Amino acid sequence: MFRKKNTAGVDSDAIREILDEKKTKMKLSLKACAHCTLCAESCFLFMGRDKDPKYMPSYKFINSIGVLYKNKGNVDKLDLGEIRDIVWERCVLCTRCYCPMGIDIPEMIALARRVCRSQGVYPRYDQE
Amino acid sequence: MELSNILSGTCVYDFVRGPLVWISFIIFILGTIFQVFRLLSLTRVEETVKLKSGPGSFLPKRSEKEKTDWGLRARLSIFGVNPFLIVVTTLFHVLLVIMPIFVLGHNILLDNAFGISLFAFPEKTADVLTQIVIICAMIFLYRRLFVDRVKAITDWKDYLFLLLAAAPFITGYFAFHQTFSEHYRLIITLHILSGELMLMAIPFTKFIHMFYLVIIRLTVKSEYSLGQGDRVW
Ligand code: SF4
Ligand code: SF4
Repeated sequence: MFRKKNTAGVDSDAIREILDEKKTKMKLSLKACAHCTLCAESCFLFMGRDKDPKYMPSYKFINSIGVLYKNKGNVDKLDLGEIRDIVWERCVLCTRCYCPMGIDIPEMIALARRVCRSQGVYPRYDQE
Repeated sequence: MELSNILSGTCVYDFVRGPLVWISFIIFILGTIFQVFRLLSLTRVEETVKLKSGPGSFLPKRSEKEKTDWGLRARLSIFGVNPFLIVVTTLFHVLLVIMPIFVLGHNILLDNAFGISLFAFPEKTADVLTQIVIICAMIFLYRRLFVDRVKAITDWKDYLFLLLAAAPFITGYFAFHQTFSEHYRLIITLHILSGELMLMAIPFTKFIHMFYLVIIRLTVKSEYSLGQGDRVW
């Protein structure tokens, strides 16, 4: 977490521009998350992966879009790579997650995907 | 001077039970109004286009049984997934809101200040309910410390705000039972102070989930909305 970031090849301003578009909603939603884990069972991937906490909807948005807002877009390729793994490999955006607060989890994941895509970080199924 | 001496000193004591009461209520009320409007301003009303289902409709309809059988509805809801936690959290949150209003001691203060008083729980009931809140808070703490999935998303703020929410009840319990009677004034100061801090924190910290839940689930259209919300983000 405290490693030195190497932001070469990342356009932080472009990231910030995307983040600013939905800042109020996203920040309120991140704040409103009570970290209660009640959303866990609603995600079939969480259930299918032996209830691994890394597949919890809240874990996924906190560690993707949450990290992006926390760092105000100042992330490097390594961070983006980790976010990519979370928002593509651990979520299929099926939009079935349930949060008692009414937090719009899929939109948060989708926004994190958009940020990654804007920096050319996304799964390359043709190459992998 | 030790912190406990400072806190129980007359000056702090008078401030905490005088001006700070007003300050905290004003911050709470203004903050609440601001946040409620902010949440509403993020969403807008949208006309629903009612689509007719075509032949061989595949949209599952709620069966009659599902509509009227409350036991079945409960099992299909989050209660069916996590019954224990739902009971604990419901008790905790309901009591958190109603206890401060209906405790006898608070009603006496209200009576002294404005000459009004509400219904008050008998002292024994209030004592038991306070203990229930403290037990619920301990269950939350246990989950944060030892349950992997909760640990995975817990940060220091979660502990801080859990403590802040539980502190008025813990100190209230001590005060009522005169547990540390030699430090009674300190306990009372901490009791009032933690209540005030909590009140001021509600609109601006993670406690905001209180408003978020009510407003978003009641007004925004979604699969899981409560009622007939007609707003969209
Ligand atoms: S997203 Fe909702 S259900 Fe999941 S941890 Fe946050 S508040 Fe709880
Ligand atoms: S949208 Fe993602 S997080 Fe939500 S239930 Fe589907 S896979 Fe899980």
